[in-house]
Amino acid sequence: MFTKNNFFLLALLLSFSFYSCKSNTGQSTADNKIDTVLTGTVTAELTVAPEVPKPLTYTSPKRVKVELTCVEKVMELSDSTQYTFWTFGGHVPGQFIRVRQGDLVDFTLKNAPDSKNSHSIDLHAVIGPGGGAEATNTAPGQATHFEFRALHPGLYVYHCATAPVPLHIANGMYGLILVEPQGGMPKVDREYYLMQGEFYTKNKFEAKGLQEFDEEKAMAENPDYVLFNGRVRSATGAKALPAKVGETVRLYVGNGGPNLISSFHPIGQIFTKVYMEGGSEINTDVQTTLVPAGGAAIAEMKMHVPEVINLVDHSIFRAFNKGAIAQIKVTGEENPAIFRKVKQ
Amino acid sequence: MVFFTVPVTYSQTTGTVRKMQKVPAGIYYPFFSGNNEKVNSFLMDETAVTNAEYLEFVKANPAWRKSQVKRIYADANYLRYWESDLEIGKNNRALLNSPVVYVSWFAAKAYCAWKNKKLPSVAQWEYAASAKPVNLKTGLTEYILAWNAQPNPKMLPNVKSTYKNIYSIYDMHGLIWEWTSDFNSYTGSVDSKGNGQEEFNNFCGAGGANVKNKKDYASFLRYSYRGSLKGNYCIANLGFRCIKNL
Repeated sequence: MFTKNNFFLLALLLSFSFYSCKSNTGQSTADNKIDTVLTGTVTAELTVAPEVPKPLTYTSPKRVKVELTCVEKVMELSDSTQYTFWTFGGHVPGQFIRVRQGDLVDFTLKNAPDSKNSHSIDLHAVIGPGGGAEATNTAPGQATHFEFRALHPGLYVYHCATAPVPLHIANGMYGLILVEPQGGMPKVDREYYLMQGEFYTKNKFEAKGLQEFDEEKAMAENPDYVLFNGRVRSATGAKALPAKVGETVRLYVGNGGPNLISSFHPIGQIFTKVYMEGGSEINTDVQTTLVPAGGAAIAEMKMHVPEVINLVDHSIFRAFNKGAIAQIKVTGEENPAIFRKVKQ
Repeated sequence: MVFFTVPVTYSQTTGTVRKMQKVPAGIYYPFFSGNNEKVNSFLMDETAVTNAEYLEFVKANPAWRKSQVKRIYADANYLRYWESDLEIGKNNRALLNSPVVYVSWFAAKAYCAWKNKKLPSVAQWEYAASAKPVNLKTGLTEYILAWNAQPNPKMLPNVKSTYKNIYSIYDMHGLIWEWTSDFNSYTGSVDSKGNGQEEFNNFCGAGGANVKNKKDYASFLRYSYRGSLKGNYCIANLGFRCIKNL
């Protein structure tokens, strides 16, 4: 016999099971037959964060040429603080790569002639030895080459995998590769690229001058800096990411680590959609999403009111004291039906 | 399989005499777990081979001049900063007493043979390089990592500009990387990638498995660097010195 309460509970359970049946079949789209017949060659557009390459317009698999160069260079960690970064393409994070499911990626890794060290790449989008690392241990001034088939759609981290791997990652060698599903990503108004990473220095946060890596702090997982896009204030103030009321913004968020998991949260906003861990499963109405070290997430928001949205790692001391803040500046008409400040 | 024959006709004159220092016999503890290796006593050049010394070599051995060398023995970057075959160039005067770089393994091997010497093995090089510094303020690992964190200098400093170890050998760290005879389990195959044991060890367990000391980032960097090399590579920060077995 059903009491009223039990009935509601049953209805709730049923609705959950319907929901989960609809949203997750438990089957990877790579298990389906994917089109792999190549129909030409293109060169991938590579972008520097926060920019994302334009959505792909082709609808059948291509041979996609990608060329990344490992560069070691001194850059600003903060306004008066420098660090010798090891990078893919001269920036932290490395250049964003965008390909499509079924593409054959023709990958060349170069190492700049004035690099001190050998470097390699492990792309998490690769199925093959070391994610490409075994084929790409590249000496300064040299190049290596391999091919892989982008089988699974999703947002994937890439990073250097030359020993000692933790040092290469801690110095900034990570970035993102997006594998669009065969049907492409739904259209949105704006897309941005953010990647979190920690830095471990001998001196304290924002100490002046060129900073050295601190191995003890790195092993204790106690960073001085937790940053978006490799620099304190990389996307705040005048460099805040612009958006307009009424627009939908999609963030491609990665976490290079090397150690910390990010509790990624938009202050004064709610993610309408999150492709959890950068995969195919979509969650909706999310306040804070986890971005694992060596993992990613795709998060979308609808802009309703003018505001500055602080994007933070909600392990909140990181945002307050270690630099983990980026901003979206939303301009446009006030919408008092959604938010208004009431004068006393 | 391709066999390379390195040009072996050498001039009788062997140029300036580089002072060598005796490295006493001892044990090499491989960075990647393996059997400890007994190292017999040997003589080692007290510094890396300089541009001035290398100039004498190419003067006496035309096959190793920039314009003459075969690509299988040295890639297109061979001595790229030299003005011409026998001129290091006016702007490079300060480099005469600095290590020669942009030289291949084949070239380094030929130079040592011309001097009636050899390239050190990894075991010999690492054993000699692990010797205690006599004039450093910091620990050796810390010193190497600090060097590593700096981009290559515009002008490579002279030899004897870094530190001396207890065998009176200079600059084993902190100036350049150096060739070794068996840098990558060299087989003579054009593409030895993936076959070298060092390379396997580097990637196995993200380079963390089976090593002597997982905190020794300086050694990791050096072994990874060696694993990325091929015999004809000529690189900005890669030079060499020679040894003589006793």
